[in-house]
Amino acid sequence: MMTPAIAPERAEEIALGTTPDPHRPWQTVVWNDPVNLMSYVAHVFREYFGFSRERAEVLMLTVHHEGHAVVAEGAREQMELHARAMHDYGLWATVREAP
Amino acid sequence: MTPRLVVLELSRIEATHLAGLVEQFAELLDESGESLPDDPAVLRLVPDAYADDPAAAKEFRDLTQRELLDRRSTDAGAVLASLVGAVAAPGDENAPGDAESALVETTLIRLSPDDLQAWLRTLAALRLVLASRLGITDEDDHVDDDPRFGVYDWIGYRLDGLVRAADGDD
Repeated sequence: MMTPAIAPERAEEIALGTTPDPHRPWQTVVWNDPVNLMSYVAHVFREYFGFSRERAEVLMLTVHHEGHAVVAEGAREQMELHARAMHDYGLWATVREAP
Repeated sequence: MTPRLVVLELSRIEATHLAGLVEQFAELLDESGESLPDDPAVLRLVPDAYADDPAAAKEFRDLTQRELLDRRSTDAGAVLASLVGAVAAPGDENAPGDAESALVETTLIRLSPDDLQAWLRTLAALRLVLASRLGITDEDDHVDDDPRFGVYDWIGYRLDGLVRAADGDD
């Protein structure tokens, strides 16, 4: 497979760019805690995000086993709304720029 | 998850204990001010939303903390309101005759969809506060002969039951 060539000026732009990429999304991350019930966390994901039971379970198990899960990606303001909603349910959520 | 009425069965003694806990929780919320909570149990209800950016975390807190804690108070009030008819009358425990059976008597609490939301959030928040007081930092932290852990487990049992009812799993 051919590696797509990057035009020299584009490569330079990437190397020298210091301003945040406006297209880089933000994320809402839910963190594991030793208190919230697994059933409750899955319920919150279903109810608030409207996820299917299966998707909510997978995300809940990711939080539980990996320590955290990205539950949403998009504009920063929207991710802050999601984090506030998670806090309202008692879940521990943070906002970050996508790594 | 069709909105519907959920009927919760509680014994009067459970309802009375729960009302006492929720009242203490509401008092704790009343004591919290506008600044960063110095009580770790209250702080857990309004955690930092930015892990590595204190300025953004503070801005978020300034915009959300008051509203979140006010909602916890409103929810606690809704839970207490739905428990009014279920708690044991004062003196029940000292009354002669059928006092004991009155305490274990089951009462039915009818929860509207809004009530159910208030119950779920309040029981979840109550567990966070209890866990903070008990120093629970790991899922395996449990002292079996400490009655306070019994209360913590009991709230979890009730919360789990309401989650199933809300999800239509029962």
